[in-house]
Amino acid sequence: MKAFAYATAHSTDSARELAADNGTYLAGGNDLLGLLKDYLVPAPKTLVNIKSLPGMGEIVRSENKWVIGSLVTVGEIERNEELRKAFPGLRDAASEIASPQIRNVATVGGNLAQHSRCWYFRHRDTVCLKKGGDLCYARNSENRYHSLFTGNDCISPVVSSLATTFAALDATAIVLCNGVETLFSMADLYQKAFTTVTAHNSLAPGDLILRVRIPTIRTRSAYMQVSDKHAFDWALVSCAAAANVVDGKLSKPRVALGSISPVPHQVEAANQFLEGKPLDDDTVSKAADMILAGATPLEHNGYKVPMARALIRRTLLKLKG
Amino acid sequence: MPSWPANTKYISQSTKRVDAVAKVTGSAHYSSDIQASGWLYGMILRSKWPAAKISDINLDKALQVPGIKAAVKARDGEFTVRFYGEELAAVAGTTKQACLDALHAIEVKAEPRQEFVVREDDAMKDGAAQVWDGVPNVSTGKVRETGTVDQAFTECAAVIEGFYSAPVQLHHPMETHGNTVSWTDDGVTAWASTQGVSSVRDGLAGALKLDQSQVRVLTDFMGGGFGSKLGGGVEGVLAARLSREAKAPVRLMLTRFDNALAVGNRPSSFQKIKIGALADGTLHAFEMENYGTAGIGAGADQGGGGGGAQIPAPYIYKVPNTRVKQSAVAVNAGSSRAFRAPSHPPASFGMESAMDDLAAKLGIDPLEFRLKNDSNEVRQREYKIGAEKFGWKEKYQKPGGSPGVVKTGIGCAGANWPAGGPSRRTQGEAQINPDGSVEFRLGVQDIGTGTKTVIAVVAAEMLGLKPEQITVKVGDTNYPPGPASGGSTTCASISPTVYDICTKALDQLQTQSGIADARGDNWFAACKKLGVTPLVVHGTWIEGLSTRPAYGVQFAEVDVDTETGLVTLKKVVAVHDCGLIVDKLTTESQINGGIIMGMGYALYEERVMDDLSGVVLNPNFETYKLSGIADVPEIEVFLINMPERGVIGIGEPATVPTAAAIGNAVFNAIGARVGSLPITPAKILAALGKVPPVAKS
Repeated sequence: MKAFAYATAHSTDSARELAADNGTYLAGGNDLLGLLKDYLVPAPKTLVNIKSLPGMGEIVRSENKWVIGSLVTVGEIERNEELRKAFPGLRDAASEIASPQIRNVATVGGNLAQHSRCWYFRHRDTVCLKKGGDLCYARNSENRYHSLFTGNDCISPVVSSLATTFAALDATAIVLCNGVETLFSMADLYQKAFTTVTAHNSLAPGDLILRVRIPTIRTRSAYMQVSDKHAFDWALVSCAAAANVVDGKLSKPRVALGSISPVPHQVEAANQFLEGKPLDDDTVSKAADMILAGATPLEHNGYKVPMARALIRRTLLKLKG
Repeated sequence: MPSWPANTKYISQSTKRVDAVAKVTGSAHYSSDIQASGWLYGMILRSKWPAAKISDINLDKALQVPGIKAAVKARDGEFTVRFYGEELAAVAGTTKQACLDALHAIEVKAEPRQEFVVREDDAMKDGAAQVWDGVPNVSTGKVRETGTVDQAFTECAAVIEGFYSAPVQLHHPMETHGNTVSWTDDGVTAWASTQGVSSVRDGLAGALKLDQSQVRVLTDFMGGGFGSKLGGGVEGVLAARLSREAKAPVRLMLTRFDNALAVGNRPSSFQKIKIGALADGTLHAFEMENYGTAGIGAGADQGGGGGGAQIPAPYIYKVPNTRVKQSAVAVNAGSSRAFRAPSHPPASFGMESAMDDLAAKLGIDPLEFRLKNDSNEVRQREYKIGAEKFGWKEKYQKPGGSPGVVKTGIGCAGANWPAGGPSRRTQGEAQINPDGSVEFRLGVQDIGTGTKTVIAVVAAEMLGLKPEQITVKVGDTNYPPGPASGGSTTCASISPTVYDICTKALDQLQTQSGIADARGDNWFAACKKLGVTPLVVHGTWIEGLSTRPAYGVQFAEVDVDTETGLVTLKKVVAVHDCGLIVDKLTTESQINGGIIMGMGYALYEERVMDDLSGVVLNPNFETYKLSGIADVPEIEVFLINMPERGVIGIGEPATVPTAAAIGNAVFNAIGARVGSLPITPAKILAALGKVPPVAKS
């Protein structure tokens, strides 16, 4: 790790200023310190501690929405009883992330902004496409953890389970871009990763995620993932779903999947198909087919197709309550 | 002939570890905790190429990094590296950061070789890159044949053919490899995380060209070795050279990254097995071709015990007609080292899988099939006990017979560990003080198995004292020499030695004090009569109190989700023997640990090599997956105590059959064989035929 300056910001303005000259924001640090220690990203001049920014560590409920500050920890999401009642899927997603120790320091903003976990990207001695090299090793070799969908040559998937769940809940990230609060849907927040080899989200240097806003227009939500292990392991595939269920029928349904695309994988046609449909086996199977149509399995990740299919079906059926 | 006491107060009972409180409160100082006066951090620079010619290593810039006190090359002159992670140089400095910066500052002139090979199949192809110049990658052993195999297969009522494989398993003890070494004009002191203080002493003395008397090795507490810490290692020699150069003690503990590359591993094994039985279920013919890699250490067979790629076959069953061919394949990767029951877990996995596949073809219960074909009487007893405790009969369904999406399955497998006996050279001493305090000193080491507790238990039993009244000192080459802790030999070596020390001590104490029986209530009175001079008694291992081998069987129950592929290990019932059980509690701990390690082998662990870059892709616990608490099943351990056999080791047999039992339980659940470890969700879904073909791009 190269030497760097360290500064604490007490306002978003000062945070921006401190970070302006090749600085990087530091919150929980789980992702950032790993990247720096393995020399995976260019060394920043200044680490800007944003943990003291006022108002960003709060969970606030209002009439038609919940607002979660970007400094709220994953552990707080997991433990907040009211939030759990409103969005059980979000709680389940939070509880699957890493370990309790990590959840206690990992922040919502950091979880959304975290970099690729592709083992070639993370390896100190391989220079893959994402790091500016000329070869996607994963595409040609060990791709068991990689994407079924992508719009570029990099097949590293998004691994933020919060992003997957926020997508299903139709949440909006409010990001400070050049001093202006800008709204990003989850699709927007990752779109650039879908199209651009070197990107892992749509944020530009200096952009700061302030909070996430979740509308309360859906009363039910669910999240499920499958990992190799039973805890403290990345999802091989994750799935979140949210909707209202009235008389056994879905309304405002949304489904999103993680770990199979550089973005939370959402198929609008499937969401539309589900609208008004009875929540039964036939419905969820058809939705799964629509969501996974066009999947492009590689040598070692084809298992993600049946796994995703099972998860879509189960997560949707879980909305029955 | 001596014999163990019949009615015991401590032996075969449960005594809490004598160092339990020290361990859980953190007051136990492990090798990695040692802070010798003025110590420096040490770190190793490793090859980032799987194959390269190194023409020059320049340390000048590293030595200019503030805080750096020494830098040394791993080898002088030009040399060739043959695996990713091979040692190039090392530095010592006042902070970790200084060392990291210095590693980045070292200039290495290298010609990377584009020709390298990291996968077994690739290394076996014609025209494959050669790991060793002029030496074929594949060393082919002789075909071993008994009986008339081809003829015998025609006589079989059922024959199956299967391909069973196990990957390279990495050594990842909780405490990484390493040591603190201080080299002064008086000689070398090494606080090493080792399984053999004596073997490290001799190794360091040889490498550093010092008299053995000038090297002292200390290991008070160490965090696991499993076969990989029997020598001082490259890290020992480099730490010593850095210490010499820096004129200060150097603590060189490897990082987790280092451990994934260069401290040895369990070789892979790829077994093509054909096996047949007669109509009555008697095994009749067996044929196996096995190959595996021991990394760059392969190409020349090392035999079963030393960490080579060969395995015992056919494992534990006697088959009248057998043909076995084995080869070792060299690849550009870190080499093997002894690993808890070397060669047995893969042998067990292949054979026991084939047994269940054949039982299915014959249409018989796989437990019945084992009872028919396993001639070992101890395992026969163990299978019967285990089946009862496990509820085999009630639970057994035909393969794939479990209804529903999440299917339940059960399986079992047997173990054999031919080592586990004593090292006959073991010595030790006791100092009995006039105040009645007593200290045992043995130049053995406690690798976490409970060696100190075993010494205290045996001594307390023999002297009529309580275990907490016995002070135990081990892990110091200044004590009478003891064995390296490998092959599950420690317990069988030290227990008779302590017995001998105690017998001699009592003889002498009784003679000197004139008290006929100095044990128990008379102990303090007898000791008081020593006056001012403590009694020091030397003892050795003696015949008749220890033996080998050990057996053991395990039963596993799994749930397999046939839609997601997730395997959940629900329960393991283990029935083991190790002759006379010295301490029940630490014996059970060994078995619990063996099962947890075995389940990692079955379900999670695998070194992944990248064939394009030649690197180890998972040099961390993120993607080198180890069993966690949430994965560990309910474990029930049942022990058969056989005092008449004497003491036998248990560490290794406890891990042998676990993976095979789990693999068979998975087969029983889904009715399809996953023949390749680890059994991941991806492989379950593939075995069930649910994975779509590769898309054409």
